[in-house]
Amino acid sequence: MLTIENTSRRRVRDYERERHASSKRGKRKINFSLLNIGKGLDIPFVLLIFVLLAIGITMMFSASYPVAFYEIGDSYYYLKRQLIFALIGLVVMLVVSFVDYHYYHRFAAIILGVSYFALMLVLVLPSQEGGVHRWIGVGMFGIQASEISKFAIILFMAHWGSRYYDRMHTIKYGVLPGAAVFLSTALLLLFEPHYSCIVIIAILTVVMMYVSGIKIKWLAIGAAVLAVIILLLWVTGMLTYAMERMDGWGQALNEDLDRDMWNSTWQTRNSLYAIGSGGLFGLGLGQSRQKYLYLPEPQNDFIFAIVCEELGLVGAVLILLIFALLVWRGVIISLRARDRFGKLLGIGLISHIGLQVVLNILVITDWLPNTGISLPFFSYGGSSLLTLMFEMGVILSVSRTSNIEKS
Amino acid sequence: MGSNQMLRRRTVWLLIVILAVGFGAVITRLAFLQLVQGEELQRRAIEQQLADTPISAKRGTIYDTKGKILAQSASVWRVVMAPAYFDDGADGDEQRAFVASRLAEILGLDEAELLEDTKQNTYYVSVKRKVESVEKEQIIELQKELSEKYQKSGLISLLDDYKRYYPYSDLASSVIGFTGSEDQGLSGVEYQYNDFLSGTPGRIISAQNGIQTEMPFDYNQNIGAIDGSSLVLTIDETVQSIVEKYMKQGIIDNQVLERAVCIVMDVNTGEILAMASVNGVDLNDPYTILPEQQKDIDAIDTDYLIKNKYIEEGVDPYTMDEKQKTALIEKAKAEAESAALARNWRNKAISDTYYPGSVFKMVTLSMALQEGVVNKESRFGCSGAYQLYEDTIHCHNTAGHGTQTYQECLWNSCNPGFIQIGQLVGKEKFWDYYQAFGFSDKTGIDLPGESDDQFFIHDGVEGNMLDTDLAVASFGQNFSITPIQMITAASAVANGGKIVTPHVVKQIVDAEGNVVKNLSTETKRQVISESVSKEMCGILEENALNGSGKNGYVAGYRVGGKTGTSEKKVDANKNGIEDDYIASFCGFAPANNPQYAALVFFDEPVSGNYYGSAVAAPVFASIMSEVLPYLEVVAQYSDEELSNIDTAAGSYTGMSVEDATKAAEGDGFSVTVKGEGTTVLTQNPVTGTAIPTGGTIVLYTDDSSAAEKVQVPNLVGLSLAEVNDTASYTGLNVSVTGTATSSDSTSVAQSVPEGTEVAPGTVITVTFSSGGIAD
Repeated sequence: MLTIENTSRRRVRDYERERHASSKRGKRKINFSLLNIGKGLDIPFVLLIFVLLAIGITMMFSASYPVAFYEIGDSYYYLKRQLIFALIGLVVMLVVSFVDYHYYHRFAAIILGVSYFALMLVLVLPSQEGGVHRWIGVGMFGIQASEISKFAIILFMAHWGSRYYDRMHTIKYGVLPGAAVFLSTALLLLFEPHYSCIVIIAILTVVMMYVSGIKIKWLAIGAAVLAVIILLLWVTGMLTYAMERMDGWGQALNEDLDRDMWNSTWQTRNSLYAIGSGGLFGLGLGQSRQKYLYLPEPQNDFIFAIVCEELGLVGAVLILLIFALLVWRGVIISLRARDRFGKLLGIGLISHIGLQVVLNILVITDWLPNTGISLPFFSYGGSSLLTLMFEMGVILSVSRTSNIEKS
Repeated sequence: MGSNQMLRRRTVWLLIVILAVGFGAVITRLAFLQLVQGEELQRRAIEQQLADTPISAKRGTIYDTKGKILAQSASVWRVVMAPAYFDDGADGDEQRAFVASRLAEILGLDEAELLEDTKQNTYYVSVKRKVESVEKEQIIELQKELSEKYQKSGLISLLDDYKRYYPYSDLASSVIGFTGSEDQGLSGVEYQYNDFLSGTPGRIISAQNGIQTEMPFDYNQNIGAIDGSSLVLTIDETVQSIVEKYMKQGIIDNQVLERAVCIVMDVNTGEILAMASVNGVDLNDPYTILPEQQKDIDAIDTDYLIKNKYIEEGVDPYTMDEKQKTALIEKAKAEAESAALARNWRNKAISDTYYPGSVFKMVTLSMALQEGVVNKESRFGCSGAYQLYEDTIHCHNTAGHGTQTYQECLWNSCNPGFIQIGQLVGKEKFWDYYQAFGFSDKTGIDLPGESDDQFFIHDGVEGNMLDTDLAVASFGQNFSITPIQMITAASAVANGGKIVTPHVVKQIVDAEGNVVKNLSTETKRQVISESVSKEMCGILEENALNGSGKNGYVAGYRVGGKTGTSEKKVDANKNGIEDDYIASFCGFAPANNPQYAALVFFDEPVSGNYYGSAVAAPVFASIMSEVLPYLEVVAQYSDEELSNIDTAAGSYTGMSVEDATKAAEGDGFSVTVKGEGTTVLTQNPVTGTAIPTGGTIVLYTDDSSAAEKVQVPNLVGLSLAEVNDTASYTGLNVSVTGTATSSDSTSVAQSVPEGTEVAPGTVITVTFSSGGIAD
């Protein structure tokens, strides 16, 4: 904590200095024109977001209407809410894109502090279904504490990596801060518990450290330490809960399961049925059968199974290609950002999107245990959609400074 | 390297990892699931998505060879319930209780079990099958009540179902068989041809969602039931009825303990015209035993327990706990009842094995003739017994048959004679022929439950016979075969030496009337030559005319046959002595061109007479004398027989005396005119009465003469000629039955007692029998 407070003070000072310098040289003037291509928003990136959002909401509606009909009595229940959040999200995205991202330098430590506070707050709030402590607030206005944490860590790592880019090869600047932030966050997440988020945060931290330029040997040592820790946990039997969660992993299609296992693998099994039923071209938009109360909560994490059932492999691959284009475009934007902070922030955020997509599909195809990873732009959920759109806004903000058209 | 280049390079690597490894893995996995595993996953998905309601298929009809219906399915109903439609909470509980109690009341089911059924969260629970129209009406009432009281429809439904009816109840019961509660064949052809008869049930497939209620949109598919195919049997209802009538009478007359068998078979095609295991079971009610069986079971008491070892040793049955004793009696009764049921269901003709006894001599002699080991010069002595090492084997004629030809051995049914013939054949050849005649294999008849034979085994080798084995085997003792094997072998002896596969189904016809399959004659092998067969037919015909088989004789039909009396070597009737016998007769007709064979078999006749000649042969003759004319076998009467043939009296009343006399004489009758009138007023015997050829018709021309009576003389204990003389002297007509043409035939009964006053011309039936045959 001490380190963070120190850096926070110094960071503000550095930021002021940088801002002053840029305005003085007149080189780093940021053009906020909306329509001026190359100086304004990155139009391809915006288009990709619109396409994904349109497809995502359509599929979310298709997947959710039987559940909405049977359980709520209003087939449009989820659609209406998601549309509202999407509109709010677009506004948020646009607004955020106008905000000079350098401004976040100042808030990196504060947001990290908010993230810790949120993680501790959920532990004292009442638990949700399944005995987990993840949400702050209720219903439409709830947010997962881990959503804040993910953004906070990306922001902090970008801030740190750009600030001390010339000392990243040292253990003190390159390894220790990242490790400290990750371990402290992971510790709090262990109490929730929210293992999938720990995995995502771990990968994001490593990605940020790697891109920031730490020595590869530290990553290798980290991997070795991780292996030893997992081995220790294994030996001491502390992986019990996780193992229980993973018990049904890979067993979904086994026909001789006892009743408990049958129930715990029910969602994954029906996800596989849905994916398999799709075949090459799918059953057609709206024609899913598995969404009729077979696949629980088809509008949430498992929505892509319904996409596969209705649109087939062809549709699924097309959607994945759009995601890939988004990631690619995000990386291009980031690499062409004017400064290191923008580059690191953009890479961190776009990596987060790519990671969510890959992990989500590995879960619904039973290659990873069922642990609750949503699919960006597709899964129902107001707060996660708003968080996502906020992050897109930040990337767009970075794109305004990039010199894509000039190169 | 500058930090910016490093960042760029590392970012490119990162991009490659995310896109190539991450997205690559994801796409590969999806492709595997959707393309490789897709079919299986889709199948499993569809399995859970579709609700499947079966539609019963109508089971095929079973016809006899003439098209009479032996078994038929009629429409009834199946009651089903969709408990998913019950409301939740207290309302639902009330509805469930109401439905359970009403259904229990209407259908006679257990209320607690029904209540459990109503709690299932499914769509289709079969409540009861084969519900008849009375209950169906009540169910419809219940449906109305439910819709009025709870606004519920679809909770209880009625689906089509079928029930099996057997118009001839116990006729051919062991051949036809019966079906179980799920309409599946349990025995007989119902079991054997179940796949053809049962058809393919249809289905109503409707989409259902994860909580098994119907989807809000239409997805219904009806796959119609395909009704079962029908069977045309080779069984002829008329022949079967004749057979069962005489077999039942035979069981009563001879106090048969262990049921009786009769098979009638077409010797050339293997078609079974009748197969009776009497007593059978009422196929409409196969789980009910006969009243007399029930009486025996009801009579089970302490003595029965002691006799059948229900009471443990050291326990005094008279002082033991009453409760315990009652329980033991209940147990004994239950066991006795299931034993009785099993007995009634058992197709004795193919499932029971027995020592064939002397009937087998026709097989032994066929072997000897085929092998050429006996000829015209061969002579076989019989002193009444035959000494083989330490064993003395007796002949039924203890005085001995003297020196015999091989034909005489058979006519006399001489055991020592056949021991010598068997020795000439030899053990190896005997075993070869035993196999060739089909005794070592099942005949392959298309009925379930055919048993294997039990032949001699020494040192673990079947067919390895000792000298004594051969000796007794040559007259059919100490090895067991089934009745169907015996008649199949006898058919081969008669039909020119061919072993044919017996079968009871002639044709399978599908629901649209197309022939699915014709079951034709299947000849397995030639076992003896045609010439040997021809000689055997001659010998066996002579045997039925004048030899030991003459009680099986049927006038005009040139019957050939052989009697058999086999020792069971068990004490089945539990009288302490192993004196139980099987009396059998196996024969065929006509001997010059054999068409039909019949085997008659009584298991344990205990009326005192147990010889095949006395018990089985007369029944065979009675059956054949009705069956052969029905089957349109052309009668070939000898002159002697012609004189005994009955002719139906014509109608001569209302004619002038002259015309009537001419007409009656034209019909082959002699005429006596009584009275003074010119017109025939009445006649005796009346029109249609069977009168022997040459019998007398009395024509009355006035009323006074009609009152004239004659006294019936004694007609018992006389020869045929004496009976005819006495009758014509008295002015009566005689109808002859039984063995009348044999030289030692005597009359044993007359249908109208001596001394009765009857009108002249009345027909008296006189039964003849040939005595002195002890086999």
